Amino acid sequence: MKRILQAGLLVLCGLGLLHVSLFTDLCLRYVKEGMRPLLIASGAVLLLLGLAGAVIDRGRRDHGHGEHGSEGHGHGEEGSGDDGHGTEGTGGHGHDHSAVPRVAWLLLLPALSLLCYAPPALGAYTAARQPPKPVAARSDFDPLPRTSPLPMTLSDFTSRVQQDRAQSLKGRVIRMTGIVTPRGKGAGGGWDLTRIIINCCAADAQSVKVRVYGGPALPADTWVAVTGAWHPGGKLGTRTAPVALDARTVTKVHRPTNGYQDALPLG
Amino acid sequence: MLETRETRELVGARPEADAPRAEPPRHWPLLLIGAAVVPGTAVVLLGRWGDAPAVQAWRTVCLAVTVQALPFLLLGTALSGAINAFVPERVFTRVLPRRPALAVPVAGVAGVVLPGCECASVPVASSLIGRGVAPAAAFAFLLSAPAINPVVLTATAIAFPGDPAMVLARLLASLATAVVMGWLWLRFGRAEWLRPAVRHTGHRHGGSRLDEFRLAFQHDFLHAGGYLVLGAMAAATFNVVVPRSVLDTFAGAPWLAVLFLAALAVLLAVCSEADAFLAASLTGFPPVARLAFMVVGPMVDLKLIALQAGTFGRAFAVRFSAATVVVAIASASLIGGVLL
Repeated sequence: MKRILQAGLLVLCGLGLLHVSLFTDLCLRYVKEGMRPLLIASGAVLLLLGLAGAVIDRGRRDHGHGEHGSEGHGHGEEGSGDDGHGTEGTGGHGHDHSAVPRVAWLLLLPALSLLCYAPPALGAYTAARQPPKPVAARSDFDPLPRTSPLPMTLSDFTSRVQQDRAQSLKGRVIRMTGIVTPRGKGAGGGWDLTRIIINCCAADAQSVKVRVYGGPALPADTWVAVTGAWHPGGKLGTRTAPVALDARTVTKVHRPTNGYQDALPLG
Repeated sequence: MLETRETRELVGARPEADAPRAEPPRHWPLLLIGAAVVPGTAVVLLGRWGDAPAVQAWRTVCLAVTVQALPFLLLGTALSGAINAFVPERVFTRVLPRRPALAVPVAGVAGVVLPGCECASVPVASSLIGRGVAPAAAFAFLLSAPAINPVVLTATAIAFPGDPAMVLARLLASLATAVVMGWLWLRFGRAEWLRPAVRHTGHRHGGSRLDEFRLAFQHDFLHAGGYLVLGAMAAATFNVVVPRSVLDTFAGAPWLAVLFLAALAVLLAVCSEADAFLAASLTGFPPVARLAFMVVGPMVDLKLIALQAGTFGRAFAVRFSAATVVVAIASASLIGGVLL
């Protein structure tokens, strides 16, 4: 790989990272918010490294004419490769068949993908193929505020339905937001309100789900706010109670910036 | 007469003198055209197929693994470049015990100092070998660093609240695996499995250290980055193709569960800072199996195998990864059986 191409590849990678982290918030589709400063720093480092490489190596090439000895020596360091064909001897003829193997070209794929063809956040497809994330066992539940409808996270709803002996959800109207995940025919049709939660990056995604009864049939991956009451069945506060909601209103909302967290709905 | 001689000189001189100078313009347009055409053709050719939910999920996961690992890979390659250019060889000979058998556990414990993901440790281990550290000690460091550093142990403690035994078991089992693998390499390892690391020459007299650092950094990053993308693609394929609901079928039998979660750790390639949370969510599995998931994951997974194959050679990566999986499972079962 030619030096100038290496520099170009580094610049593209740097620009790609800066594009998704500094100029837009596309990186939140792939990693957690906390990674963002690291991504910005990495993008800047790669960009600088690429630019420095382009400038310095070009300068050296122009400068190196006439003094062939130093030129040969200079390339001896980089030309000695580890991918089989580079030995100490190749440096002698002043070419930079660089030691970087062709596999480095694969970096072009994520770089270009980040720059101009960024895939969307994980959604219904992933959620539908996962069992719901188990909620931690809890025994003490704070009394719920009096507001109605009451904003709640999907995890909190799940644990209150199945574990709260005081049955604090009884008769309450709840408001939750998430994405629409259609249920398969075998699962009784209808749809689940879903949130995808990541711990580090999208590869470790898990999902929390609340089954929704009633309401319009919306296309998969739509972000919605649902208000409604617990769908009765079994005994509330025990494992027999279904994690489900009888929807009164279903309205479309915008995807929140923290779409990969199980956060409280705003407003 | 004079004119012709000058012309001849010019003609004669041109190819030699200008050939290197003409290279950048010849290849820049190619790169630019490639940059402009590749995504376009991809969109046109893939058409609807590219927007199928499965393909989108694959691209998202693949890009997520890559983006998440890049900062750590940069850290690792910067560190490796710095070791190569700035740290003199005698530092390592002074710090590490002379006998390799003793250097192995010391290097294993030294893994505590490298905070971050497993991607950072491969280039660092490679540059350590280049600076005269015994390969066995460098491999102990390679295996222990991503598993026992404070960031990962803290994440484990958060993921398993009120279960400090799990953190301790992870620390001990990972350290034991790393040290045993180092000793195994001392006893059975052969130098010819390793690709000769001619590139890491260290500081040369008369060269600019900063320039050496930059070149090693650039080389290592491009090299390892390519393999990282390869590994991310493989991991994304398994992530999307194997539905998570398959898991529950293996949860019943304890031995099968250990083997199954170890295999899952290899295939999913979740970063070592996050795997504790995933392990905590696999509630149907016995604790020993979850421990095996956390011990195997940072040491062997698809993207690491790709990175190691790129750095040390394929002959090494295959043997080393296979042996590490066996040792890691044994050590997790033993220590998990006692502690959990």
